[in-house]
Amino acid sequence: MMQEAQTVASGISGVHIAEAAKYIAAGLCMGIGAIGPAIGEGMAAAHALDGMARQPEMQGALLRTMVLGQAISETTGIYSLLIAIVLLFVI
Amino acid sequence: MGEIFRQLSQLLEHLGEKQIAVLHLLGAEVRFDVMAIIMSWVVIILLVLLALWLRRALRQPVEEKPNRIQAALDALIDLLKGQLADNFASERLAIMMFPFISTLFLYVLLCNWIGVFPYMMSPTQDINVTFGLALMVAVMCHVLAVRFNGVRKWLKGFIEPYPFMLPINLVGLIANPLSHAFRLFGNILAGTILVTVIMVKFAPIIVPPALNIFFGLFFGGIQAFVFAILAVAYINVAVEG
Repeated sequence: MMQEAQTVASGISGVHIAEAAKYIAAGLCMGIGAIGPAIGEGMAAAHALDGMARQPEMQGALLRTMVLGQAISETTGIYSLLIAIVLLFVI
Repeated sequence: MGEIFRQLSQLLEHLGEKQIAVLHLLGAEVRFDVMAIIMSWVVIILLVLLALWLRRALRQPVEEKPNRIQAALDALIDLLKGQLADNFASERLAIMMFPFISTLFLYVLLCNWIGVFPYMMSPTQDINVTFGLALMVAVMCHVLAVRFNGVRKWLKGFIEPYPFMLPINLVGLIANPLSHAFRLFGNILAGTILVTVIMVKFAPIIVPPALNIFFGLFFGGIQAFVFAILAVAYINVAVEG
């Protein structure tokens, strides 16, 4: 405990700054990276729902296409997740 | 109680750790993830055993009314046909590629689901496994494109719609399998990490099984379906476009 307090008192070294920057970067990466896919997937679901309400007999095809479209728009989110994982565990 | 928490926190420390086997082949160093290989073989053996068991249950005359297993198998085949094979551009392609796509779907599905059991790991949370599967689909795309349309038309596909689009088409050649592999890998890995972190840091009982059902079974099923249906879409584009 004493030693820790002394380290804090003696100033923050570059290693600590790098460590903190790593966590901040990973958080920002995930937080900002999740906005796009969330909006995209929501729009896909909303319009698929519109279509289903108008034509209930098309539900199967619409659901399939919606899931496919959502999976593709999710890719950017997955990329930011990978970068966050690399930031946290690899670097 | 303290002992349990100590063991759990060890689990978090070992997250992402791998047992790597190094093999020296022809002067080059080849690295294997032992766990992923073992789990892939477990999945393969499970699928083969399932197929053998189902085949044995099917031994009966055609005129008789179908038994329970036969009905279940019919439902499965109907599902695979209706959801996956019907998306192919032509009937001929669908008949030709139905076994490949169904096998891909069942393999990825079982790979995702096996991670739910304790002490088991999804092989698909290793990037090499998903990359192998995506590469297989990509090679299949180009082989089919050449077989259906000929080499000339396949090469011509790279300068369409305009010749200056060639670099973009070449990037697409690499980016398609890349995103195909990363999508599956990222989803399964994210689920595993989330469940482990929540189990260790917040709630060691009751919550993890529920999360496991959501991330393992539900997302695993969706991602397996998406993987297979994207393979269908890539093959369609390769053959038609």
